[in-house]
Amino acid sequence: MVTPMISFDFGQYMPPMLRGAGVTILLVVVSGIAGTIIGLVFGTARSAPLAPVRWLASIYTNFIRGIPILIILLFLYYEIPLLFPYATFSQTITAVIGLSVYSGAYIAEIFRGSIQAVPRGQLEAGEALGLNYVQKMRYVVMPQALKIAVPPGIGFLIALVKATSLVSVITATDLTRAGRNITSANHQALATFLVVAALYFVISYPLSLLGRWYERRLA
Amino acid sequence: MSRTHDLGPAMIKVDDLHKSFGDLEVLKGIEAEVDEREVVCLIGASGSGKSTLLRCLNRLETFDRGHVTICGHDLTGSKTSLHAVRRDVGMVFQSFNVFPHMKVLDNLTLAPMKVLKIGKAEARQRAMALLEKVGVADKANVYPTKLSGGQQQRVAIARALAMQPKVMLFDEPTSALDPETVGEVLGVMKNLAEEGMTMMVVTHEMGFAREVADRVVFMDNGVVVEQGPPKQIFEAPQHERTRAFLSKIL
Repeated sequence: MVTPMISFDFGQYMPPMLRGAGVTILLVVVSGIAGTIIGLVFGTARSAPLAPVRWLASIYTNFIRGIPILIILLFLYYEIPLLFPYATFSQTITAVIGLSVYSGAYIAEIFRGSIQAVPRGQLEAGEALGLNYVQKMRYVVMPQALKIAVPPGIGFLIALVKATSLVSVITATDLTRAGRNITSANHQALATFLVVAALYFVISYPLSLLGRWYERRLA
Repeated sequence: MSRTHDLGPAMIKVDDLHKSFGDLEVLKGIEAEVDEREVVCLIGASGSGKSTLLRCLNRLETFDRGHVTICGHDLTGSKTSLHAVRRDVGMVFQSFNVFPHMKVLDNLTLAPMKVLKIGKAEARQRAMALLEKVGVADKANVYPTKLSGGQQQRVAIARALAMQPKVMLFDEPTSALDPETVGEVLGVMKNLAEEGMTMMVVTHEMGFAREVADRVVFMDNGVVVEQGPPKQIFEAPQHERTRAFLSKIL
């Protein structure tokens, strides 16, 4: 009788595994940055003086946050090219777009909350000094709001690392997809996915440390 | 004792001012006037509308009916440039509202540089002179969170003065302070009054009102009940409501 063995051929499978991890990191970094930019724009727009701007931003964030990221990815990859043939992108590009749109909505909510958390008196002091809306936001509100946004922002990025694993449904070769490809060759699902899990941890744990360092620094 | 200098023409004119928050009418037809170089103290119980009146004067609060003219700006029209108004009108808040993310000196130079477009060197020079004047020059390069309440409020006063306002509004400037730091803030305000600044001060500091004000205005329930020189208001109030208020706090 053969005892089931947990074995993993690092020499053979680590290169594709690390390439997958590289794609995952790329997805987190690019959609994290794009999402932050989108979030900054829409989060600020939530407190804009013009009502239609607020409504638009509110529709975007509430709509996207109400849909699973899986559906967003499937829709972008399978449906958009049917509707708009010119908007046909590779799996990785589609994944980046989907994750950015998704991150943007969540990060916008984080910024909206952070802007609201800046005491009202700060805005009034800025207004009483004659600062206009843009100056008030730029010099008084945002510097304080960004500080408030960092801990929940890092929390979201950690969640984003894990959320990127869903891009495997549109066959983008991220870390999860690399793991699935390897298991179909070595039939060692347990060992392979333990390695996959370890790599996700290695990617996300430094973010946790960063968050803890930041909170200690503020305390 | 009142100051000796002559008062100039009206700097603030309030006519039939009405303001409601929802169903609650907080200002019910206020008439008021403050002349150039005059110090007016607004007294009255909490909820009498003093702060709301003050906040209407630089349009931090909009009003429903009536007219406000301040430093030659008519606040009634929606077309009024609020930036121009606020350039001329300084305000000091109960909760200081210094900018915690900026060093003290930068708190003072921000608005002059961004609004008045004054160069950095000149703005810093002026700011230092003002910090000197309010007695916190040694704190120029620290963050306000390291300061006591009294020091923060003096920084806030200097910050407002950095815009070289023609009128200063004070909204209960000492109400959030520890008792031992109240005096230093009132001292700065007294100096300012003696230099001839036009001031409107919402306050519960009756000693300050008696000593520094040219005129005391007593408000109750959204109306001006009585006004006059401090001596008259504190020693011979004409109105029953004024007497009742003063007997509770003096």
